[in-house]
Amino acid sequence: MDNIPTFNAEHLQSNMKTVYYSRTFLSIIGGVIAGIMGFTSLTGFIFYFLIMAITSVGLLAKAGFTVHSYFDSWNRVLLDGFLGGLMSFVLFWTFAYDLVHIF
Amino acid sequence: MAEDLVLDTAIRDWVLIPLSVVMVLIGILRHFVSKLMRSSQVPDAKIIKEGQLIVRARNLRSGANFIPPRSFRARRFYFSNEENGLLHVPKGQAPNPQAQMFSDPNMAMDMMKKNLSMIIPQTLTFAWVNFFFSGFVAAKIPFPLTQRFRSMLQNGIDLSTVDVSYVSSRSWYFLNLFGLRGLFSLILGEDNATDDTQRMMQMSGFGFDPTKSLGAEKDSLDIVQHDWALPKFEQRAEAVLRKVLS
Repeated sequence: MDNIPTFNAEHLQSNMKTVYYSRTFLSIIGGVIAGIMGFTSLTGFIFYFLIMAITSVGLLAKAGFTVHSYFDSWNRVLLDGFLGGLMSFVLFWTFAYDLVHIF
Repeated sequence: MAEDLVLDTAIRDWVLIPLSVVMVLIGILRHFVSKLMRSSQVPDAKIIKEGQLIVRARNLRSGANFIPPRSFRARRFYFSNEENGLLHVPKGQAPNPQAQMFSDPNMAMDMMKKNLSMIIPQTLTFAWVNFFFSGFVAAKIPFPLTQRFRSMLQNGIDLSTVDVSYVSSRSWYFLNLFGLRGLFSLILGEDNATDDTQRMMQMSGFGFDPTKSLGAEKDSLDIVQHDWALPKFEQRAEAVLRKVLS
């Protein structure tokens, strides 16, 4: 039995929006944490990628690991919006770092 | 050799926080003002008809493999045949809606309003930042940058021995400008007036919508190869029913 891919575009879009919101929110929180803990340069960026990886794992767990019933490809849930949260992360990282370490 | 400068607490209280707060508030204000100022456009009947036609053709294209070949071809002929096919635009008529679009005063006014509401707060805030907050170190960015960025980030500071990580308030303004976009999309929901990229896409979609996209739809409809995806439909139904009943 061959599986014909059929997708409801609206649902797919709303799922993508959820992914985007989660990533944005977590990158802001991650920025504040990185600033408070005093990460600098490379450590901070590694922390950002760690946060993004945690987001991906969290989203996968919420989707019950069956990606195909919610998205049309693995890439969408894993890689999409990876760099979108970078600017917010840097902003809040700088903010928290300055507030805490450089009075 | 990173000398750790100790910055005055007053800088933190009176520069960083107020600037961020002001930018967030201005963003929210701009969002609501643009919502109030949005004039209700009376939609042109012809344009809506064409838009719906395009939607129909698109649905036909996406569902092409689920209907038998003959009915697909019949539908495609209805859309794209030379004489009275709906998507076929005779050459003489093509430039007309475009010209109409540009001379339409409402549309031009709308676009100008949107542009202005975008640019004015940014310009004003930038001028305010430059006037009040220049000439001192405002913040330290947590990662090191090369010497090339010095002229860009340390604009008011005239010492060249200060680490490039210590930036002026102008760069704090720019950092806020880019970073708060994510925050706005969380606070204000999807359709917010602060998202530049969305706005640009909308603007470019307006003026050229009807005629070019009709031609484009017709072409893409012609390209579609019908691949009958449900040949073994009866066997599939039988298998599913067996599974359900057993």
